[in-house]
Amino acid sequence: MSDHSQPPARVLVAKSSLDGHWRGVAVVSRALREAGFEVILGGMLRPSEIASVAAAEDVDLVGINVGGRVEVVERALDEMESAGVGDIPVFVGGTVPPQAIPRLTGRGVEVFPPGSSLGAIVDSARRLTGRNIPTGGLS
Amino acid sequence: MIEHQPQTTSGIPLKLLYGPEDVPDGIREALSTVPGQAPYLRGAYPRMYRDRAWRIFQLSGYGNPEDMNERLKFLLFEAGETGIIIKHDRMTDDHLYDVDHPEIVERREDVGLTGTVTVGLRDYETILSDLPLESIYAKPGGGVPQSAVYTLPSYWSVAARRGIPLEKLAGTGQSDFFLTYLGCPTKEQIPPEAAIRFNLDLIEWCSERMPRWVPVSVAGYNAADSGLSAHQELGAVMANAVQYLDMIAERGRVDVERLAHRIGGVNFRVSMEVFEDAAKLRAARKMWSDLLGQRYGITSEKARQMRIHVVTAGSAMTYQEPFNNIVRGTLMALFSVLGGTQSLGVSGYDEAMSIPSDHAHLMSIRIQQILQNEINLREVADPLGGSYYIESLTGELEQRGWDFFEQIQSRGGFLAVLDDGFLLECAEENNQRIASGMESGERAVVGVNTHTIDDPIMEVEAFEGRSGAQTWEMAMERLSDLRRTRHRRGAMDALHHLEDVCRNESVNAIPAFMEAVMADASIGEIGDVLRETFGDWQAPISV
Repeated sequence: MSDHSQPPARVLVAKSSLDGHWRGVAVVSRALREAGFEVILGGMLRPSEIASVAAAEDVDLVGINVGGRVEVVERALDEMESAGVGDIPVFVGGTVPPQAIPRLTGRGVEVFPPGSSLGAIVDSARRLTGRNIPTGGLS
Repeated sequence: MIEHQPQTTSGIPLKLLYGPEDVPDGIREALSTVPGQAPYLRGAYPRMYRDRAWRIFQLSGYGNPEDMNERLKFLLFEAGETGIIIKHDRMTDDHLYDVDHPEIVERREDVGLTGTVTVGLRDYETILSDLPLESIYAKPGGGVPQSAVYTLPSYWSVAARRGIPLEKLAGTGQSDFFLTYLGCPTKEQIPPEAAIRFNLDLIEWCSERMPRWVPVSVAGYNAADSGLSAHQELGAVMANAVQYLDMIAERGRVDVERLAHRIGGVNFRVSMEVFEDAAKLRAARKMWSDLLGQRYGITSEKARQMRIHVVTAGSAMTYQEPFNNIVRGTLMALFSVLGGTQSLGVSGYDEAMSIPSDHAHLMSIRIQQILQNEINLREVADPLGGSYYIESLTGELEQRGWDFFEQIQSRGGFLAVLDDGFLLECAEENNQRIASGMESGERAVVGVNTHTIDDPIMEVEAFEGRSGAQTWEMAMERLSDLRRTRHRRGAMDALHHLEDVCRNESVNAIPAFMEAVMADASIGEIGDVLRETFGDWQAPISV
């Protein structure tokens, strides 16, 4: 249930790779904002920076754009645990190798490869944060 | 009931039927010319593909230099590619970072995944071993300007060491602003002003010494696949050319007419909007010719001739049911040729998940070979010419393209609209519209949002290279070997000299880059000089 006295859920959106393709990040960030989330754009962050920014910004959800190997995302998850923010839910999108998806879902990460619907991504953000859930058509 | 008005992706309304009244006068006039004659609406060369088939020119690269070399030999000697493109690791090459840079170390498993990783000139020797540089057409890399001044001199230096005169080398650079400052902004990048200076240095250098080399190539592809629509791609490409030509004229070192031809190798995207994009290639040639003739008074027909390289849209390739992408690739390739391209790269069917596997590469080449050999596609020039529909689209794109060009000029020109975020906003607006269309189903993509199956068949795995995550460790060994065994003093001297030259705009910097790579300076050391000298550009990302 949405609670209008609550501030919007905060989502950190970052790229784990050093590959500058921004198109997917832009489209997803816009969809999250339109659904009432507050999006903090991290840009290209190292795994340790993803953890430190997530902690410093006190976010409710971390979204990682993957343009490389899954090991780098796993390192970000490890760093988040070390930084004491391992309980913040994580979802990822981008060119995740299909054979590597189980490694991420096995750690509770939701994965949205290219072609995923924005509706499904927003639903996932709502489910993972328990916030911004529309009631009677309003969010 | 109001009938839904169909339109192209870029917003041109589509009629049920086209007739003679739909062909604009300017196009009608140009239709009476022949291929190889200005304004080149009907093709760049008189006999088009009867004299020379389009070049099969595929992006390739991954892993360590040995992997790159092996793939190039496969593509060239076995699969039948007719030119080579070396794709470099985006992390180390686009940024000019050594593999032990902190930004790389924390992401080390990604190294080699987006292209081949080099630590210095010695790696280029490996990449190019057994390849006859004097007889192949090459794009050695250098998509972004700061990487081009490392990559091109490295390729040229390997040739020079083998005793091949530079004037014999044939190929192309890129140094594209759309990639660097719009499509894929890197973490650190020299500002556009510094990049322009290097591009002009390259243009001058090649114009003096390398008659068979295209020094830089405006890549509309990167504008389009970032989101600019067809007419915006056209207008922005023309604005980019004007920026180069005006600055060259201002420098006054080389004659503009002589240079116009050198920058006439332009890269466009052909997407699944195939009719519009084939028309776009025809409009592009006419606009280029008109621009050079009218704005610069260039009369030489050759100088006004645009040669086109097409890359089929990577964004059209779906992650779901990747074999469907072979069909998409074939369609986009066919219409690229119908539009008169001189060379072509077909995106791999596994594009949405990885760089191409060897099989995906082979399929991209086979698509082109089937088109070249099995359907009489090479025999007739400009087969779409005179179609009321195509000519209407061509005229409409030309008109809208010039309108967008004027919009850019009125905002201060090409560099200004990269810097102030205008192009980015245009791209973003289009991307949102496309995403909404996908979401509502108005825009259908088979296997993605229509005709889907519940339990998708896993057709292929993403290609992850031979050495996988070990690629980085192997590159680290090469870097430490380079540092240990080179003539250290020589490398440092060359780097100091490079810095002096970078600070002095009246000197062409290319020879100093050649000296630095020949002295075994590492990629990161060259990058440090550029960062130190020029600082960093901040992308106007507004998302």
